[in-house]
Amino acid sequence: MADTVAAPARTAGAATRRLVVVLLVGGAVAVALGVYGKVHDPTHEQPYTWFFTSTIQLKVWFATAALALAVVQVLLGMRLYDKISFPRHAPSWLGDAHRLAGTLAFVITLPVAYQCLWALGFQSTDTRVLVHSLLGCFFYGIFTVKVLAVRVKGLPAPTLPFAGGLVFVALVGIWLTSALWFLTSRPAGLPVY
Amino acid sequence: MFRRLVNLVEILALVGVAVAVVLLFANEPESASTAPTTPGAQIFAASCASCHGADGGGGTGPKLAGGAAAKRFPAVDDQIRFVTDGSGAMPAFGGQLSPTQIREVVEYTRTL
Repeated sequence: MADTVAAPARTAGAATRRLVVVLLVGGAVAVALGVYGKVHDPTHEQPYTWFFTSTIQLKVWFATAALALAVVQVLLGMRLYDKISFPRHAPSWLGDAHRLAGTLAFVITLPVAYQCLWALGFQSTDTRVLVHSLLGCFFYGIFTVKVLAVRVKGLPAPTLPFAGGLVFVALVGIWLTSALWFLTSRPAGLPVY
Repeated sequence: MFRRLVNLVEILALVGVAVAVVLLFANEPESASTAPTTPGAQIFAASCASCHGADGGGGTGPKLAGGAAAKRFPAVDDQIRFVTDGSGAMPAFGGQLSPTQIREVVEYTRTL
């Protein structure tokens, strides 16, 4: 009898320990990015512009594309968890589409984050810039937690949807403090594209 | 088939992360010989270049080089007031830089 009572407690304890490790890894990623951004001498260069007027416009539209893909991923995730009922019959490839949307969104953020870290660094010029810097570090930390939550077995059940939700919230915050700010507050004469 | 494509994209994403991390450390800027030397230039590099570009050529902030700053503010005191108090997308630097530092960086921008 004592064993049957103790077993769930042991399982819960193991799940908590795994969760702590996963959170520590994610926290280490976020802190490492912040430290790099603070210690590294920003170059203030625009290493690539591709089809855009400058790297700034590239970052704005890449961030917007990442956010759009993240919205798709959240909707697919909600269907996977039966939080929405459209489409009525979930196709078998829904999970893979969810993974693909999230992976593509993440890939699109890489050239944006690279230029932010390498050319600008962690800044606190004003509240918007400070919040953007903090959210940028937090995004990759919580993204790491989310990826690990998919791979590591035996974590508390809410870990994955909670981490996924935070990833999305962080990305929305990043977009609001950068792309939306640029689109609404850029100096006159600066091209949108 | 679709799952294999997703797996491939995830592997490419991991490669992308690795490349980005390597570039962050390998792609260092040029040596200190090009580092700013005057106080105004140092303040500009630390506080202004992220928006106005390393050479004042513009970015999210307008161009300052080529006489653009002096053209926008013929009177230097007007530019000092603008930098101190901010306006629109331009942050107020009065709380971050001393009046002397603001004057130094303003004078520097007028030489770009």
